[in-house]
Amino acid sequence: MEKSPIIKIENLVKKFPMGKSEFTALNGIGLTLNQGEFAGLVGPSGSGKTTLLNIIGSLDVPSSGEVTVLNHSISNLSTREAARLRKENLGFIFQSYNLFAVHTVFENVEFPLLLLNYSFQDRRRMVLEALEWVGLTDKIRSKPPQLSGGECQRVAIARAMVKKPNLVLADEPTANLDAANSHHILETMENLNRELKTTFLFATHDDKVIRYLRRKVSLADGKVIDDIVIAN
Amino acid sequence: MKLAVKLAIRNLLGAGIRTWLNVIVLSFSFVIIIWVKGVMVGWDHQSKTDMKNWEIGNGQYWISSYDPYDPFTLTDSHGPVPPEFADEIKQGEMEPFLISQGTIYPQGRIQPIRLKGINPGQKIFLLPSQKLDTAVTDAIPSFIGATMAKNTGLKKGDRMTVQWRDKNGAFDAADILITEIFSVSVPAVDNGQIYIPLEKLQSMLGLPGEATLLTYSDPDMIRPDVTGWTHKSFSELTVQVDELIKMKSSGQSVLYMVLLLLAMLAIFDTQVLSIFRRQKEIGTYVALGYTRQQVVGLFTVEGTMYAVLAALLSAAYGIPLLAWQAKTGWTMPMDTSEFGLAIAQTLYPVYTLGLVISTVTLVTLTTCVVSYWPSRRIAKMNPTEALRGKIQ
Repeated sequence: MEKSPIIKIENLVKKFPMGKSEFTALNGIGLTLNQGEFAGLVGPSGSGKTTLLNIIGSLDVPSSGEVTVLNHSISNLSTREAARLRKENLGFIFQSYNLFAVHTVFENVEFPLLLLNYSFQDRRRMVLEALEWVGLTDKIRSKPPQLSGGECQRVAIARAMVKKPNLVLADEPTANLDAANSHHILETMENLNRELKTTFLFATHDDKVIRYLRRKVSLADGKVIDDIVIAN
Repeated sequence: MKLAVKLAIRNLLGAGIRTWLNVIVLSFSFVIIIWVKGVMVGWDHQSKTDMKNWEIGNGQYWISSYDPYDPFTLTDSHGPVPPEFADEIKQGEMEPFLISQGTIYPQGRIQPIRLKGINPGQKIFLLPSQKLDTAVTDAIPSFIGATMAKNTGLKKGDRMTVQWRDKNGAFDAADILITEIFSVSVPAVDNGQIYIPLEKLQSMLGLPGEATLLTYSDPDMIRPDVTGWTHKSFSELTVQVDELIKMKSSGQSVLYMVLLLLAMLAIFDTQVLSIFRRQKEIGTYVALGYTRQQVVGLFTVEGTMYAVLAALLSAAYGIPLLAWQAKTGWTMPMDTSEFGLAIAQTLYPVYTLGLVISTVTLVTLTTCVVSYWPSRRIAKMNPTEALRGKIQ
């Protein structure tokens, strides 16, 4: 069965102004990612991983080239349309978790559902389900400062997954975690990928993450230098 | 909007002490502004009620030449009571006053006074005019106000010689007997005033059946225009009080503007700090599907919610406090009788629904503007930099 492309990138260039000159962060990137993949953008710091992830996440726009995510051309999206794409179809996981510190675990995971206007009953059911995926149903009333780093990242995963998005973008999700916690959350994400067919795209240079990837796209100096599909 | 309110409440309650400090400062502003304004309304209400009860009734007719601020007009400020008002006077719903200049000599000093002739049986004023209805024959029964008594050293039962000029300018003198001393907050009724029976003053001046002014109790009765007399409505007679209170209110406005400014400064500061400190949170909102404008809206609602919480807190402790003040009043620390204003020693604040609503609206709108002002910065933020907390 032919898999449908969820991300299609053609000749992507991203430049940032740097004083009077420009810095080219991405230089002619071409990439296609299909639904259900568990892939990673791999490379050293400054290779353009996060910039590419931000553009795919419609948080930034290309300088030139074409980026299509779920049939939406990122360059042509208005601010409102981009927000809608993120709200309905994308999940984000960040290196430093980016949880709302004053909200409880339940409220943090509930947030994307509030934006989508789900009823309270549906929200409650979906949040509890998501917390069960990550094994945090006993921490429902806790606030992020009361949790460990691993628990915080699991809450972040639950928040990204609760609306069952088509695509989850994870930027260095294990950078602040020890080995045991890293494996735990990676196993969680791998399970969710298999069970829900959610596409995961990582930006990482962590070997612990790379070992879990089924596709590795290597970047260096803003270019794709390698694209390897790893057999299970 | 509903979502913004929900999130704002979560964020504010979650922020704990920071929120409550702002809310407490703002609630002080609410309560003090309402209290100060309430005192002004109470003063207005009290001074007009006292003026009505003690000085001007519900309106007056003045003989055309009468000018209360020019004593030299008093000699000629009299005329026959118009027959058009005879029935009203007979029914006790209109009272004539005759006013003349006079002189007394308390403790050897010369002091100009105003002799006021009043009907002992009058019912319009709270003046103790019934005390003039005595069988004393060797002196003119009279009463004076407490301030006048204090200034002249006169006490109830004292006698004093009073000198006056009759209609022809001839000097005459007689003894008065103080039959009563009354307390009042209206200075014009007290300072330098001696009240004697109307008919006696008419006889002393040689002006039988004449008066300087007529005071009526029924404001709705339609009365004819009378030649030589000028009608003064209640609002015309209280215009100076209105102006005075307006002037005082402007002065008090400075006080509550300072209070409001302090509260707004606290909120502005919190907002600026929040936007700097909560960059990652702002970036996360955008990443999760908010537009930057929606985040601006959220922060503005969050700031405005301080006013809402402050209103609720103010209601919790302010309602009993203000109600207690309205009941017990605010007694001024110094003697108000020498202020020269119609002001009672104890002022009872009056809080109207309009006062409360206008104050809450003013504070809430100001808070909204102050919250929005720094929040506009969010609209210019780059979400990718905000996510990393890199904006300086």
